[in-house]
Amino acid sequence: MHIPDGILPLPVTAGGYAVAAAVTWYSVRRINRRENPRENVPKAALLTAAFFVASLIHIPVPPASVHLVLNGLLGAMLGYFAFPAIIIGLFFQAVMFQHGGLTTLGINAVVMGFPAIVAYYIFRLRKLGGRASRVKVAVLGFLSGSVAVAISVAIFIAVLLTNLPSQLDIGVETAAIYALAIAHLPLIAIEGVITSLLVLFIQRVRPVILDGV
Amino acid sequence: MKLGTIDQYSSLSSPFHRWDPRCKMIGFMALIFAFSFVRDLRVLLAVVVVTVTIYVISKLPASFIVSRLRYPSLFLVVLVLILPFVSGQTIVMSIGPLDVRQEGLKGVLLIATRFLAILTAGSVLFGTAPFLTTIKAMRALGLPGILADMVLLAFRYLHEIGSDLHRMQTSMKLRGVRHSRFSLRGLRIPAWMSGSMLVRSYERSEWVYKAMIMRGYGHAPHYRDDFHVRASDIAILVVFLLAAAGFVVGDIICGRVSVPL
Repeated sequence: MHIPDGILPLPVTAGGYAVAAAVTWYSVRRINRRENPRENVPKAALLTAAFFVASLIHIPVPPASVHLVLNGLLGAMLGYFAFPAIIIGLFFQAVMFQHGGLTTLGINAVVMGFPAIVAYYIFRLRKLGGRASRVKVAVLGFLSGSVAVAISVAIFIAVLLTNLPSQLDIGVETAAIYALAIAHLPLIAIEGVITSLLVLFIQRVRPVILDGV
Repeated sequence: MKLGTIDQYSSLSSPFHRWDPRCKMIGFMALIFAFSFVRDLRVLLAVVVVTVTIYVISKLPASFIVSRLRYPSLFLVVLVLILPFVSGQTIVMSIGPLDVRQEGLKGVLLIATRFLAILTAGSVLFGTAPFLTTIKAMRALGLPGILADMVLLAFRYLHEIGSDLHRMQTSMKLRGVRHSRFSLRGLRIPAWMSGSMLVRSYERSEWVYKAMIMRGYGHAPHYRDDFHVRASDIAILVVFLLAAAGFVVGDIICGRVSVPL
């Protein structure tokens, strides 16, 4: 779900950088308001690296396989560190594996990062009404994971199909939208289940991690 | 798990290896964005010439760029295979039931060339200096301190966490765990594996933070660089900025002469 270099026109890539810079600035500002803003930097950095490595795990979904996105879980766990963490992960992927791109770093950060922030607010709902029960954590974990990927897919398709360099006819464009959306449905479901299982695992083993950094 | 071999040729000697990393970052990023602006096929030809020239000057071996092209985005390959058949109205030839369209072919040429040019320029940018030097240059150019610290720490621990995952996968295989077939119960395996990795990383980060505090992290001025800009660095930067501006202006002028894609 990373848009490579060469496809999007300059105004879109520049706009992506502008939006990503604004959200990063806001995130860093919120982090700097804390009493000791650097206290959580190592935690956020190492969890960023762990998320990056976890995203390399492939899940067999015949006839192919999918890799985890985990932007929902990343948003739920990292809070305001999530957007910078996603930019860093995308930067590593572009430089090391040629996934995504340098000019599309900003727009890809919007595609993956905005849903992570939504997931952060969804997962926070577990604190409503007192103690976070296992059922509440599991359901909100599922929603964080699947909603984040669903939003990412929607933004990805919208950005891609409105910016191809040559015009598609309406029929082909509609078919492409349906095909891309249907192709991502298994990923949306799997991401929700994995995120749910993951938050339950972390709640059992080290619940303090779920309180965020 | 093989990560981070982008700077394996950073010890070679070429004008780009010797170029001040900050000037190099500005110059190459300007050129890369100018590449992404190009829509005219004549200007695209100039992009190819400039890209090849840059790569030859960088003295990076051909095997380096070939290895980076080995895993190009699958998404791009799919687009290149589909676009000529579905985009545009002007049919230039037919292959069985499929019509190849002129607009789609031009679109593919444009996307593929820009992609390869940007990938090559990016490879020279990040392949001609140690990765940590490049990050320091980004910090010197105004990357927020929190972000720079996160990048450096994440890069530092990527390999170790990658090794953790590799060890876990090996242990699981030795114990007979297979997840080659999809099942809902089977999803617990990658979930718990990822969970273990996150918990370990969290615990490791607590030790790392304590070690960093012991070394004065967060109290003393924590950033300084040893970069020195020479006249030759500025001269190369000016050449790159002029080339970038030339591509943008050239594309606008060519776009007025003929209809852009």
